[in-house]
Amino acid sequence: MGFLSEPVGLSHYLAVGAFMFVMGAVCMATKRNTLGILMGVELILNGANINFLAFASPYFREDNLGLDGHMLALFVIVLAAAEAAVALAIALNFYNNHATIDVDRASELRG
Amino acid sequence: MGALEPYLPILLGWAVLLPLASFFIILLFGNKLGSHGIGGSYVATGAIIGSGLLSLLSAGIWFANHTTPEPHHAHDDHAQHAADHHDDDHHAEEEHADEEHATEGHAGEEGHDDHAAHDDHHAPAPPPALTGTWYTLGTFYDADISVNYYIDSLTILMFCMVTFIATCIHFYASGYMHDELHDITDHEVTMADGKDLKRPGRYHRFFQALSLFCFSMLGLVVAGNIAMTFIFWELVGICSYFLIGFYVERKSASTAANKAFIVNRVGDFGMLIGLMILWAGLGTFNFGDIDRSGDGELAATERGLFSQVRPEENGFALQVPDGLVLLGAQDRVENLAITSDPPLSGDALRAEVAAMIPQWREGTAEGDPTRYGSILLIVAGVGIFCGCVGKSAQFPLHVWLPDAMEGPTPVSALVHSATMVAAGVFLVARFFPVFAPEVLLIIACSGCITLFIGASIAIVATDIKRVLAYSTVSQLGYMMLSLGVGGWAGGVMHLVTHAFFKSLLFMCSGSVIHAVHTNDMGQMGGLRHKMPYTAYTMLVGCLAIAGIGIPSVFGFPLGLSGYYSKDAILEQVFSFRNENPMWGSIFFAFAAGGAAMTAFYMFRMWYLTFAGEPRNQKKYDHAHESPKVMYVPLVILAAMAVVVAWPAWDWVGMPSLSRVIEQARPAGIWQDMVGGTWAVTMPEESKGHVDAVKTPVGLIAIATALGGILLASVFYLWRKLDPAETRASFAPIYNFLVHKWYFDELYHTIFVRPTHVIAWCASTFDKQVIDRFLDWLAYAAKAVAGVVDRWFDQTSVDGAVNWFAASMYGLGRNIRVVQTGSARQYVMFILVGMVGLFLIVSFWTYAVAG
Amino acid sequence: MNQVASGLVTSQWNIATLGLLAASDGAINWHTLFFFIFALTACGFALAVLVSSHVVRMAFFLIVSLSAASGVMFTSGAHFVGTMQLLIYVGGTVVLLIFGVMLTAQEAFITLKTKAGDWVLGILVGGTLLALLVQVAFLDPTWHSTDYQQRLAAQHEAVTEELRQELLAGRDRSELSPETLQKLADLESEIASGFPENVGRIGLALVGVRADTTDESVGLAGYLLPFEIVSVHLVVVLVGAAYLARAKRRRTDLIE
Repeated sequence: MGFLSEPVGLSHYLAVGAFMFVMGAVCMATKRNTLGILMGVELILNGANINFLAFASPYFREDNLGLDGHMLALFVIVLAAAEAAVALAIALNFYNNHATIDVDRASELRG
Repeated sequence: MGALEPYLPILLGWAVLLPLASFFIILLFGNKLGSHGIGGSYVATGAIIGSGLLSLLSAGIWFANHTTPEPHHAHDDHAQHAADHHDDDHHAEEEHADEEHATEGHAGEEGHDDHAAHDDHHAPAPPPALTGTWYTLGTFYDADISVNYYIDSLTILMFCMVTFIATCIHFYASGYMHDELHDITDHEVTMADGKDLKRPGRYHRFFQALSLFCFSMLGLVVAGNIAMTFIFWELVGICSYFLIGFYVERKSASTAANKAFIVNRVGDFGMLIGLMILWAGLGTFNFGDIDRSGDGELAATERGLFSQVRPEENGFALQVPDGLVLLGAQDRVENLAITSDPPLSGDALRAEVAAMIPQWREGTAEGDPTRYGSILLIVAGVGIFCGCVGKSAQFPLHVWLPDAMEGPTPVSALVHSATMVAAGVFLVARFFPVFAPEVLLIIACSGCITLFIGASIAIVATDIKRVLAYSTVSQLGYMMLSLGVGGWAGGVMHLVTHAFFKSLLFMCSGSVIHAVHTNDMGQMGGLRHKMPYTAYTMLVGCLAIAGIGIPSVFGFPLGLSGYYSKDAILEQVFSFRNENPMWGSIFFAFAAGGAAMTAFYMFRMWYLTFAGEPRNQKKYDHAHESPKVMYVPLVILAAMAVVVAWPAWDWVGMPSLSRVIEQARPAGIWQDMVGGTWAVTMPEESKGHVDAVKTPVGLIAIATALGGILLASVFYLWRKLDPAETRASFAPIYNFLVHKWYFDELYHTIFVRPTHVIAWCASTFDKQVIDRFLDWLAYAAKAVAGVVDRWFDQTSVDGAVNWFAASMYGLGRNIRVVQTGSARQYVMFILVGMVGLFLIVSFWTYAVAG
Repeated sequence: MNQVASGLVTSQWNIATLGLLAASDGAINWHTLFFFIFALTACGFALAVLVSSHVVRMAFFLIVSLSAASGVMFTSGAHFVGTMQLLIYVGGTVVLLIFGVMLTAQEAFITLKTKAGDWVLGILVGGTLLALLVQVAFLDPTWHSTDYQQRLAAQHEAVTEELRQELLAGRDRSELSPETLQKLADLESEIASGFPENVGRIGLALVGVRADTTDESVGLAGYLLPFEIVSVHLVVVLVGAAYLARAKRRRTDLIE
């Protein structure tokens, strides 16, 4: 348990952010459920937010982003909420029109 | 009311623009306005009614502000000399003018009107006029080209007249052009397959052109400079072209339109020369003075044509302006500059030249009797008159007007009798101060010849519209004659009265044609039973144009409108004869003879159409009175044709026609004009209003008119004499007249044929020499091109382009596969792209950049 | 003097409790511990969201993952943002998602199986990306760890020592230099609760005033305009979402 006595650094936070990001991205790429894709988006935004906050934290670096990082994270959260509302509306519309939430059934964009 | 006067330009500006708006509305939305574009007539009629109301409002404002002077009183002492002849009879007028000036001195703010001489009674005030600028197009040093206005009582009068007649004609036309609402089968046009032409109706197009015409005509009337006049001049010309060629499929109509257009261009060529001389010499096109600087003073460069030609310092008498003197004496100025010893400085030279100008002008310079500039002024005047000759169908350019009757009858009534052709007369009247006596003599000659030619051809014409067309030519000749012999007021008055009764006559003829579907009077007769409104309004028109009235010698002068104007003209010609016996005798003989001929051919026409037995029973049975929308304007115009010139309007508080015209009399026309180059004297107009002139002239006028009517009755009403017999006995003259004096043939021989020969030569040269050379060049180029095409174009250039296109096509086909339409797949692409970007950036950062 | 000393000792204890100051060798660093707890929870449940194919479970896992992510944010000192994360995400967005799940939860769509090919592809690409990102995260050695706690402890020690010296010099507490006391108070508050004043600064920044920096180059670069924009944005989104989701006739003709 030696690592528990060592202080954590910026890298750990970035790794967590990266992991959540990749989970979200793969989630988007693999889920057939429209809502699953939305959840992937949420994960991606969270991963990005963790990165922002890590760089903004005064614990790790002297030249941190400071307040700017926090503000950006806040805006990301707000926009994520907005995006969720719209995306959910779209998903419901999609459900109305196609009687399914399987995105593979929607292929109007095929070239 | 005085406070309203500054709004006059705005009111009249709107009156001008309303028909233009109507034109654009019909142009853009014509076929959407009601079924078959019937709304076009509503729009156009509404616009012209609006213009008419604005014009009446303007007239109200104007005449509330400017009292109209008494027409000239008669001289008792006829032997007075020109130098002192204003004394008694102008006192009243001068006082008027001064009063006016005192009360409305501030009236024209942006413009400026009369800078009256206050000093003595040698120089009464020029007519009140409102001048100014709506919009400046460009300024070149001291000169500018602007959209100006020049508003005096003549402008107001023309506005009221044009809009009134145009309104009547719009109503009339909405009935007359009714056929155009449906598809038309034109029996006069045969297609290649032997069938009659079928075409859609063009109802709204007709009103569109009428609106444009009204806009142009009103713009022409209100124009404040000669350049603007010229532009509107051309605009009415093009409208006339559209309207004559309304039945464009008929060859006769399109030919007539072309003829009118081309003949008018001949006149406009002269007008352009006149414009160039004025611009080069005087540096302004403006009629009146315009205080551009707004300082209340008139700089030399702000003076208009009128005050340059008739400067106040010279008592408003005609003098060659300094600018034209300098233009004429250019070589003298150069001489002065070269020969001076020691060389003069610029200012000294300028002073020297300025000192020399009066001598050059009068020809009193040492050893040099040339009167520099006067010939330029004459040429400029003749040039402007050339334009009027074309537009007003004066000899020798009168040939287009009868052919213009190919247009629909409302057009003939509005454009080719009442307004547009009167524009030439109007311009002569407007430009009157600038015309030298020599020019006036030319105008008088032209008018005299025209009136006789027109009247003589009208006597033998059998087409009802052609009779009226030649009558119009003849009456325009009367106006020109009157203006040419110095009868300004008479000419303008005849312009107005003629507009009313001639539009009436044309509309009546249109009504007849509408009823019997032919223009040939040989197939009419007895129609007064079928169409009483038309018959009796037309009778009123005939009486008016014949000038029926009680001569003044009986103490109670009263008559139809034509009586006043025609008598005024004859009086002036008579008074001219007193001054210039030779010219005057000829003119008076023609004028009086013309009056008799006028009465004769008008009543010949009326009898042939309405009296006697029907000559074509089928057409007679088919005939019917026109609808209400057509005959109500006739009645209105007939009433106007009777009353418009009555002096009695003064008694009910309205300015009578003669007073209105008198108010606009240009400065300096109250004195005799004496020709400098030719010995000719234009007597001032009041000399014609003395009993010594009025009595004989009045008796001659009524005698000629009644004689003409009597002769017509003998021939065509009572049938005492057989017209056919008469024709046979005067066969050569008859043929000469029927062929319209062989003018068309003459012009065909001396202008058209040579042009054709030259054109044939040119085209032969073109075909034989130039074309062959070009053909050879083309063959050579083609051969070279063929070689180049084979080994370079088709392989390299085409190959490259084709390869590029093919590869793009293939690429597109391949990429198309990627567009699966699956959202998840797109996400995957994004991820792969991101990884790829990451790899590239990492590679760059750590491997390449170190 | 004793009171002062005991006060200092008290703060020492607090520091040790929160684990923000360096512990002695071998002892557990509480900060590290909490970070790992939250981080592993967040990552683990994110993974669970990915692998689960049952949409209701996915929603539950997402809640847990996001809550844990807010814990990670707390440990980075972003208390306000972490709170917002909990409030907005967990309390709002995810609830919204769950509504969506419930509205569309028909038997046929609860579990939509992903094809194996997609899994392979996703894992391949995602794994590559993850590997790259983690590698980059650990690329810079100075980012591995932090001496912040040591620095803070040293500063605290120095100030405390300074005070102690002053007290030993026989001065009364009232004679201690106010600057030093203030500095000590600031340090203790930072040790005790991170950067609580950040909340105030964020509030000021949102109305256009930057209180966190005196850097002239930053100027008045507050966040008033973005704040307004995002407010309007939210209103528009609200209207748009309501419009999009409004009830309408189902278009049966498009059903395949």
